Amino acid sequence: MSEEKLTAPEHKLNNRDIWRMFMRLNTMRITLNYETLQGVGFMRAIAPALAKIYPDKKDLSEAMKRHLVFYNSHVNFDAVILGLSAAMEETTTPDEKDGINPLKTGLMGPLAGLGDSLIKFTWLPIVGSIGASIAFGGSIFGPILMFILYNVINMGARYYAVSFGYKKGIDFLNNNEQNDVIQRISTMANVVGLMVVGALISTVIKVKTPLKIVVHSNVSNKVGGNVISLQTMFDKIMPGLLSLLITVLVYYILKKTNGKHAAMLIIAMMVVVVGLTYFKIL
Amino acid sequence: MKVFILTALAFLLGIDNVSTKMFRRPLLIAPIVGIILGNLQAGLIIGATLEVMWMGIGDVGAYMAPDIITGTMISTSLAIMGNTSGNISTMVATAITLAVPTSILAQQLLVLIETINCSLNGWAKRLADNADVKGTFWLTWPPAFLYGFACAFPTFLALQFGAGAIQQAINDLPKFIINGLSTAGSIIPSVGIALLMMTMLKKGELWMFIILGFVLSSYLKLDILPITLIALVFAFLYERATREPSAKAQVSPKTQVDNSNSAEEDDEEDYDL
Repeated sequence: MSEEKLTAPEHKLNNRDIWRMFMRLNTMRITLNYETLQGVGFMRAIAPALAKIYPDKKDLSEAMKRHLVFYNSHVNFDAVILGLSAAMEETTTPDEKDGINPLKTGLMGPLAGLGDSLIKFTWLPIVGSIGASIAFGGSIFGPILMFILYNVINMGARYYAVSFGYKKGIDFLNNNEQNDVIQRISTMANVVGLMVVGALISTVIKVKTPLKIVVHSNVSNKVGGNVISLQTMFDKIMPGLLSLLITVLVYYILKKTNGKHAAMLIIAMMVVVVGLTYFKIL
Repeated sequence: MKVFILTALAFLLGIDNVSTKMFRRPLLIAPIVGIILGNLQAGLIIGATLEVMWMGIGDVGAYMAPDIITGTMISTSLAIMGNTSGNISTMVATAITLAVPTSILAQQLLVLIETINCSLNGWAKRLADNADVKGTFWLTWPPAFLYGFACAFPTFLALQFGAGAIQQAINDLPKFIINGLSTAGSIIPSVGIALLMMTMLKKGELWMFIILGFVLSSYLKLDILPITLIALVFAFLYERATREPSAKAQVSPKTQVDNSNSAEEDDEEDYDL
């Protein structure tokens, strides 16, 4: 207990304990299984904190068993829940311990959704497309930039979130005004992500058709007088029109099948495109 | 020798994929493979293509997505090793063709591991009964080894025995198939993008942001970064405009999901340009 002077007196866990939770949080997903999903991982991650909070062996055993239940959320927000659970274990009286798991269960759904929409469907596509557009030009700088941008959020936010969840989490939860923040950030992330997706449609998908239309000219009555490239026509209507049409088509196919058959669709597209290339349509 | 280096890399990446998640994207993996095989350019282009292709893919809940790590390792290595002629567009076509089946096959191994992992529950229970905090440290090591192995083993097999076959196939296949696959490579990213759209289009009106981003990029030729900044402004304004009255603030975030039902009716009018 000599390290206690490092943090404010009301916290039993110091920065070193938070660091240990963070390190174990990183390997939490490894123990994912079909029975309790990340339950084993969560218990393992919070165990060092529990050992410090409960000097008595019987209490410690109880606490460890308490966290060995079904659990699943998003990795970057596991950190908040982990910190928060540690704070709850520390501050609650023995009678109130039953409230810890309902809190975890109540948070893991919404936070998983927020994690997906912020990290997986907004930040990752943004850094991925920035990196990819540089890499298409043949520069190693693309993946390096993507790695840095992605991991500043991925690792940085994860460490910060453990500490935040532990020190401020309970105040945050009790304040309903701020509870709304999750919803608001999620909406904003959604809009940013969608605009990036729209931009990606025109930059990434490159479809060109070599088809040409022979226009019969009535005046000279000569066949093959005017040859119009179909692609030039499309470009005049709208640059990237074919890309947009294909994406919308794929979107509706995927939506009809609930996105379960993405891999099958890719294989089908290959076959179709090879066929179309054979007939010189693409 | 290169096969062993790549196998070792696959082992580490397999563990990283389920723990620190620092390298789990094709664009971050393929260039490393490219450097090891002495063809960085091919690694970059293949990585960028696969990155966009798998953009919207990911584990959601207990659903396990195709194992893009193993898929990227195998397809990139074989594409570079199998094409001695050094034509990058052929390499990209090969990589895309191989990426899908290898990812799906490798995924089965991951499902197997998650089933084996159920035995960890018993072990963890015993540790908890004895309040053995030190012992919990070892819980992750056996599955970590399994995950590394699940990525390294298929990679080793494919590289050791597949490279010659790939080279043979590329030489024997008619030209139009290679060209077609190469074209497919620039169309297939639409699947990744459409998958992203599926999870993000929670309301019909959100289509307008896709159109906005598309127009900024196709007509105005802006890069992704300025578009992201513009998007931030629109996100702020949209959030302000649609914010629910604070009386409803206590409603759980789940209300957002309920809105998705209205998406279907509104879709038609908005995208139809």
